[in-house]
Amino acid sequence: MKVPLSWLKEYVDITMSPEELAHMLTMAGLEVEALEYIGASWGDAIITAQIVHLEKVAGSDHLSYTRVNTGEEELGIICGAPNIKQGDKVPLALVGAKVGDLTIGEKKTMGYFSQGMLCSPRELGIGNDHSGIYILDPETALGLKLVDVLGEVVLEFAIKANRGDLSSIIGIAREVAALTKQELRIPQVNLHEQGKPAAEMIQVTVEDTDLCPRYSARIISGITIGPSPEWMGRRLLAAGMRPINNVVDITNYVMLEFGQPLHGFDYELVRQQHIIVRRAHPGEEMTTLDDVKRKLTLDMLLITDPEGPTAIAGVMGGAISEVNDGTTTVLLEAANFQAANVRRTSVALGLRTDASSRFEKRLDPELTVAGANRAMQLMEDLIGGTVHPGIVDCYPSPSQPRAIAFSTDDVEWLTGVKVTQHEVVDALSWLDFIVVPDELSNGMQVIVPTFRTDIQESADLVEEVLRMIGYNSIPSTIPVGPLPEPQVDSWFEREYAVRNILIGAGLNEVVTYAMTSRARMVNLLAYADFQSARALLQGAKSVPSHGTSTAGATNNGASTAVVAFDTRTLPAVTLVNPLSSDHDAMRLTLMSGLLETVQENSKRSKAGLRFFEIGRRYLPPVAEGNLPDERRSVGIALSGPAEISWAAELARPADFFDLKGVVETMLAALHISRYRFTPTQHPTFHPGRCALLELLRLASDGEETFSPVGVLGEVHPVVQQRYDLTQRTYLCELDLEQLYEAVPGSLTYQPISRHQELTRDLALVVDERVPAQDVHDAIVQSGGELLRQAALFDVYTGEPIPSGKKNLTYSLSYQSQERTLTDAEVNTLQEGIIRTLHDQFGAVLR
Amino acid sequence: MIGQLNTLLEQLDALQARAIEQLEPIETSAQLEEWDHTYLGRKRGELTNISSVMGKLSKDERPVVGQKINAVKAELTERLAAKKEALRQREMLQALEQERIDVTLPGRAMPVGHMHPISRAIWDVTQVFVKMGFHVIDGPEVETDYYNFQALNIPEDHPARDMQDTFWVVPGQILLRTQTSPMQIRAMQQMRPPVRVVAPGKVYRNEAVDASHEAMFHQVEGLLIDEYCTMGDLKGCLERVARELFGESRRVRFRGSYFPFTEPSAEMDIDCPICSGQGCRTCKYTGWIEMLGCGMVHPRVLREVGYDPAKYRGFAFGLGPERVAILRHTVEEIRLFSGNDLRFLKQF
Ligand SMILES: [Zn+2]
Repeated sequence: MKVPLSWLKEYVDITMSPEELAHMLTMAGLEVEALEYIGASWGDAIITAQIVHLEKVAGSDHLSYTRVNTGEEELGIICGAPNIKQGDKVPLALVGAKVGDLTIGEKKTMGYFSQGMLCSPRELGIGNDHSGIYILDPETALGLKLVDVLGEVVLEFAIKANRGDLSSIIGIAREVAALTKQELRIPQVNLHEQGKPAAEMIQVTVEDTDLCPRYSARIISGITIGPSPEWMGRRLLAAGMRPINNVVDITNYVMLEFGQPLHGFDYELVRQQHIIVRRAHPGEEMTTLDDVKRKLTLDMLLITDPEGPTAIAGVMGGAISEVNDGTTTVLLEAANFQAANVRRTSVALGLRTDASSRFEKRLDPELTVAGANRAMQLMEDLIGGTVHPGIVDCYPSPSQPRAIAFSTDDVEWLTGVKVTQHEVVDALSWLDFIVVPDELSNGMQVIVPTFRTDIQESADLVEEVLRMIGYNSIPSTIPVGPLPEPQVDSWFEREYAVRNILIGAGLNEVVTYAMTSRARMVNLLAYADFQSARALLQGAKSVPSHGTSTAGATNNGASTAVVAFDTRTLPAVTLVNPLSSDHDAMRLTLMSGLLETVQENSKRSKAGLRFFEIGRRYLPPVAEGNLPDERRSVGIALSGPAEISWAAELARPADFFDLKGVVETMLAALHISRYRFTPTQHPTFHPGRCALLELLRLASDGEETFSPVGVLGEVHPVVQQRYDLTQRTYLCELDLEQLYEAVPGSLTYQPISRHQELTRDLALVVDERVPAQDVHDAIVQSGGELLRQAALFDVYTGEPIPSGKKNLTYSLSYQSQERTLTDAEVNTLQEGIIRTLHDQFGAVLR
Repeated sequence: MIGQLNTLLEQLDALQARAIEQLEPIETSAQLEEWDHTYLGRKRGELTNISSVMGKLSKDERPVVGQKINAVKAELTERLAAKKEALRQREMLQALEQERIDVTLPGRAMPVGHMHPISRAIWDVTQVFVKMGFHVIDGPEVETDYYNFQALNIPEDHPARDMQDTFWVVPGQILLRTQTSPMQIRAMQQMRPPVRVVAPGKVYRNEAVDASHEAMFHQVEGLLIDEYCTMGDLKGCLERVARELFGESRRVRFRGSYFPFTEPSAEMDIDCPICSGQGCRTCKYTGWIEMLGCGMVHPRVLREVGYDPAKYRGFAFGLGPERVAILRHTVEEIRLFSGNDLRFLKQF
């Protein structure tokens, strides 16, 4: 809300500077968002002057030559505006003045010498009008700096949603008066009522009093529509409203002044002289003042006459009964409408008006009469005409002022500030509360003024007292109450543990938008079909373990007859009012955001593309109306070398084992030891370079089973290409909640054996397809308790190993907790392992 | 025979002198070996050759010559050893010299990871409260209208809903939370006083994205409910946050504000950490920076979760980690936080 300072000063004396005033109000909760200085750019060279001579310029269809008196001298000015006449007082920009971007200079036009420029409202920056020169008040003295005449400081307030009373200049003046302990001056009404009583001219029926607690109407006749006075137009402009005509301007002026929205009807156009306030009928329509035909719904409140709607209550008037150039009698409406209903209607119609934004903040029903009378007074004074006696006022259940029991203890209870009874009475009285102290109980009864619709209980009064004595009176203390029970191992801590591990592994944390689109997620699928799409939705859960469907992806890839997948069928949590179609669904996976991050960064650098994100996947709820399943997840992406470096190890592009190494490092740091990686298929990944991470879980029946927590692999070349990636890229996504189920609650020390450890190397040749994990598992199984460690230290293919075979070399360590093992014992174990490997994999010793 | 003896002794002296003279310029192990062979060689070494004439000497002369031979041998052997050691030293130095590397080449560093500045800010903010006995909790980002609005004293059709443009999943029912404040309700429902929680997390607003507005950002909600708790405690706690994050000398100020779920409500400003309150571009020359909104939990909110406002009271606040990071690192555009540009991320 914009408040011109000169207007505010009509109601309260203000001696402090505009900046001090803004600060004082801001501290008290009336935030001044901006101070606008109208005329600050005019300087000394735009002054007031009077046109003393005016003649047409020969040979021009629009130019005039004027002589203007500045009070000190007479200057010749060429002017193209049609609205000036001799005797007008006008703003004159002297030679050297800056008007907008223009610097005024002397010039010669069509034989006339021009020594300045007369200015339009738009040129001065005080209005949009550029059709003519700004005409000053005839009483204006000559030769004054224009800034001293038209200059203004405008305070722009952010009015809080609970303070309908502050959407008015008098409301703000009341706060200023209270804070500075000055008198508040409210304009007095002194009408000359004549003629037929209003009640005989109009009938008002409020059918839905729940939505319209009060409807007041007054009538003025014998008026002539025309422009409003210059000072009123200027004030409206400074307050951000466009002057229209004298009647409309007065209703707007009073709305700004008192906060009561008013609406003027052309009385002659109200059919059968009967106003009926009711909800809309089925299928009803009307054309509003902005010439838009609007469909109305049953819960919208209308102002109607017996033949149809004439206004949407509290939102906008209708075209049918609009005040127009021929209007001579005005029916003025000052009503109170239910806040929630006005808001619902204006939101539904997409029509936010100065009236609706005031009504939705709950206005005081007592305001209608004051507003109507003030408008009548201004019309009588400024336009003339006859104010008809009386107010037609439908106010079936007048609002009762609220009384709240209050005491100084209430202030201390909430704020810690000790106040005296006197301070409280003083603070509240200045804000127009009536305080009745109760000497016995040290308490008081506080009667809330009806315009303070926000004050409901004692806590609200505490805030009022605080605003008046100042928030800086609040002491600074530390809570002294008992501490809650300690919290152990929160998800917050767990997420930071994983975060720190991955940062330690040299990865950069990213935070990507959780809002994406189905299309962006489907980009992750090498071949978009419904089966593949399920992988996005279910993450690790849907991945078939042990590559059962190798054929699926490859065959589809070779064939051109892939059934097109309708992206819209991908189940996802979607937004009905998204930022854009690229952000209309909540992500099902972290991988698409990570891949987009790699894509963006790889445009700038091919090295150091090592990212992770800890965040949620949003899985659609199983049952409608439920909240989605938000899965805490971690995603990892690696692409290209860790660094651009002369050192070959660092310049080497990342491969699958770099990614797997990061995952294994994380598992080790979390002390998760019982897991396995198995080859798998996933629509995002290279069919031969994708693994499932499975953790060993102990079921309630004692059964140990492996269950998947996520996938990792090399991004499928088709997908890679889709993201413009020229380097092989690796992605991983793990479910943090499942991962944490395997983190041991406590760690138990294993005694370090004092007996000698014996080591044996084991080199064997197996089929190339045999997973190393399986060989390792078989060695561990067969070696039993005494086999401490089986470390793979060489993998070799090529001469002299036959093709299709590979050589695996292990270092096996045997050790007992109780005794020193003999060579013979170890040899027996070693032979057992060799036999097992031969039986299971056809492994032969090398 | 005396003459022969003398000649022999002179020969030995000359031999020694010649050997020493020849030893001096020797540069390589091969030359040294040659020298060793020439003078001290068991078979045809010159000293051996001279020894061979011993048999022609008298009994009295033999010990004299023998002693002399031994002395020469000892002298030459000792010099040989010294020379050998000198050569070895020199050869090692040469070998080391050949292994010289350019120590100014970049090291083979382990890749360094970086925490996102928002994660860092959230951690630092929460730890201030953890030290004061607060629990860190979290909850759903896709929320119900009840928790995000209604329970927080923001009924349907309340103009306060304008403060937060909402992304709707199911209009009027399910939404992306616009604030972390629903965690106040969830915490109070799940716990009994004393309640001390901070709840960090993502929030969403349907706003046009620009240099200072994001559609997804973060908040840290704080809530304390107890039988004794005042706005002074709120001020004291938030002062600690300001000082821990922005320096020991930070001052805070409260001013009036409005939030539907707190009463009284306040906005907290800190004196500008960039200019220490002198006035600069960041603080728009006011010397103060808006930090967060806070207040005492509204009695209606307490009643909503079944807490008696006559017995319990408490404070709540909502702080923006983006704002913290912007001020700490003088980041000019909020969009950088979700841009995930490595050139940005690596600075933290
Ligand atoms: Zn500053």
